Amino acid sequence: MANEIYPSSPRRDLQGGIVWVLFGSLVVVLSWQMDRMTSQGATAHTAPGLWPGLVGLVLALLGGVLVLRSWRRAQQIGWDATVPDDTDYAPTSSFALAAALFFVYALLLVGRGLPFWLGTTIFVSAFVFLFQHARRRAEDAVARGVIVALACGGLTALVVTLVFEQLFYVRLP
Amino acid sequence: MFDGLIAFGHSIWSFCDPLSLGLILLSSLVGVIIGALPGLTATMGVALMTTLTIKMPSNQALLVLICTYVGAIYGGSRSAILLNIPGTPASAASCLDGHQLAKQGLAGRAMGIATSGSVLGTLIGMFFLALFTPILGNLALKFGAYEFFWLALFGVIIAGTLTGDDPLKGWIAGLVGIFSAAIGQEGIYAYDRFSFGSRDLAGGFQLVPALVGAFGFAELLMAVREKAVPVKINPFDSVIPKLKDVTQYWRTIVRSGLIGTFIGILPGVGEDVAAWSSYAAAKRASKEPEKFGKGSIDGLMAAETGDNACVPGAIIPVLTLGIPGSAPAAVLMAAMLIHGVRPGPMIMIEAPTFVYDVVAMMMFATIGILIYGLTLTNVLIKVLMVPKPIILPIIFVLCVVGSYAISQRLFDVYVMLGFGVLGYLLRRLQYPVAPLVLGMVLGDLMEKGFRRGLVLSDGSLEPFFTRPISAVLWITIVLVVAVKLPGVRNLLARRRAK
Repeated sequence: MANEIYPSSPRRDLQGGIVWVLFGSLVVVLSWQMDRMTSQGATAHTAPGLWPGLVGLVLALLGGVLVLRSWRRAQQIGWDATVPDDTDYAPTSSFALAAALFFVYALLLVGRGLPFWLGTTIFVSAFVFLFQHARRRAEDAVARGVIVALACGGLTALVVTLVFEQLFYVRLP
Repeated sequence: MFDGLIAFGHSIWSFCDPLSLGLILLSSLVGVIIGALPGLTATMGVALMTTLTIKMPSNQALLVLICTYVGAIYGGSRSAILLNIPGTPASAASCLDGHQLAKQGLAGRAMGIATSGSVLGTLIGMFFLALFTPILGNLALKFGAYEFFWLALFGVIIAGTLTGDDPLKGWIAGLVGIFSAAIGQEGIYAYDRFSFGSRDLAGGFQLVPALVGAFGFAELLMAVREKAVPVKINPFDSVIPKLKDVTQYWRTIVRSGLIGTFIGILPGVGEDVAAWSSYAAAKRASKEPEKFGKGSIDGLMAAETGDNACVPGAIIPVLTLGIPGSAPAAVLMAAMLIHGVRPGPMIMIEAPTFVYDVVAMMMFATIGILIYGLTLTNVLIKVLMVPKPIILPIIFVLCVVGSYAISQRLFDVYVMLGFGVLGYLLRRLQYPVAPLVLGMVLGDLMEKGFRRGLVLSDGSLEPFFTRPISAVLWITIVLVVAVKLPGVRNLLARRRAK
């Protein structure tokens, strides 16, 4: 119904809808440009671009419906109306730090020449230390925090390596 | 019928060796712990165990995966009751009454109810798995390209409709998943689509890394976004289930078992919808609906029975149609393919005893959760007390390893990261993730059905609409979509108000 309030505001939905319209249209264009494979006897209904083109078309259409719906809702309840969210969120800097650590580990510390156990120890130790640092400092137990972090990192690396490589013969990066 | 019972007996006997029994106990334990830990979903648990068991014989590997799956769905009830945080999405309904019972000093009784509901729910689902699979398998032999196209589309549409609050967003997520499945070499001419010259992309996206990303890494990003709350668990009474609770609420157990199994059969819908549907049905049928949400035993029993009954239900379409009934079932299906088992209509012809093996695995998994339901409480509490900054990086290490280990490609780790970011953004924007995953799983089947159908009919769309089973499917799809259109919803609401 147009005047119901949803967790996502009409403005967010409008932006999302535009993204889907553009993305779907791009898929249609790229699908249209694909080789029709007529030299191999392909017909219109076996051309490689037919299926993704149809999917892109429907995606763009549904994106358009979302744009229209969000515009109609905005007329009724306002562009930024949304269900109140009382979740207690961590600071953006914490989220950014965690995300950065995740990406550094996956993109730089594994499979790039560094032994798996070393990369994993560094990552887990750094994560535990950085995210418990404030509490350890308040408790005047920073040294203990370092030891706990290194122990978590080392133990994780050891157990994962033993279980995956030695017990189940699965190669690690 | 007796052949089936004999085959079932053989299957049970085949797992009664020390190694298999050890694997059952270990994997059920791992499953319960994975389920209990917020931040780790059943899907991710089964995906990680798929990696771990890749070198094992197929029957042992699938035994481990099924025990992990059943254990994880059950394990979510522990943190739901003790912490008011669902360990898996399937346990969200259990938080409502389970945690209220815990606040009244009845956490032990709540856990006993969760155990009995989960065990009985799995047994009910198991019964229908054994009963329906041969029947549905024979019916599925009548399915051709046209029917599989509509069935796969039905799966994505129903997943988009029933998961999340907004069907339009669910269908969009499903289409994104279908598009992802189209990336790589297409099936007829091996033409590279959307690979932009990359050899890795030409191979397409593997399902397990995508699932680990969408359900594992995305969940970690959501967990990191929220502030860590100190864990506090109050003392509780005995966790041993009471026979009185089972006999008093037998109607709820049977009703929820049936609902959970049926919801499991629907492609892509999953355990959380099964739990909520069972809960809602129990509330409607209850003589004391006002107690729901305030510590209703009926409510908790319904939720736990429903979500566990969904597990065997979700395996029924995997075995008979090659279409998963839930996200963990999708991983299970991928694992079956990795181990050389071809789920689908031919399974009753190529490997008829495999179905009974799966039923036997389900039975042993049920025994596993019963054992741990009675004994594991203090250990689980210690696990739940581990601080978030320690658990989260360990889970991420497992995400990276789990993604890499399937094909030993770093590209799969990047796929995991990409789907994790996509899953996170979709959740932030209130798009359900399950249709995305189901679109990926079913996209290939849908395309094959569509293109084969067109080749068979020489480009005509008529057989898609006129063949009997296809007609039933497309009409059902139209009805499901139409009911969600604003005009039709308003009309139905006015009729109900009258």
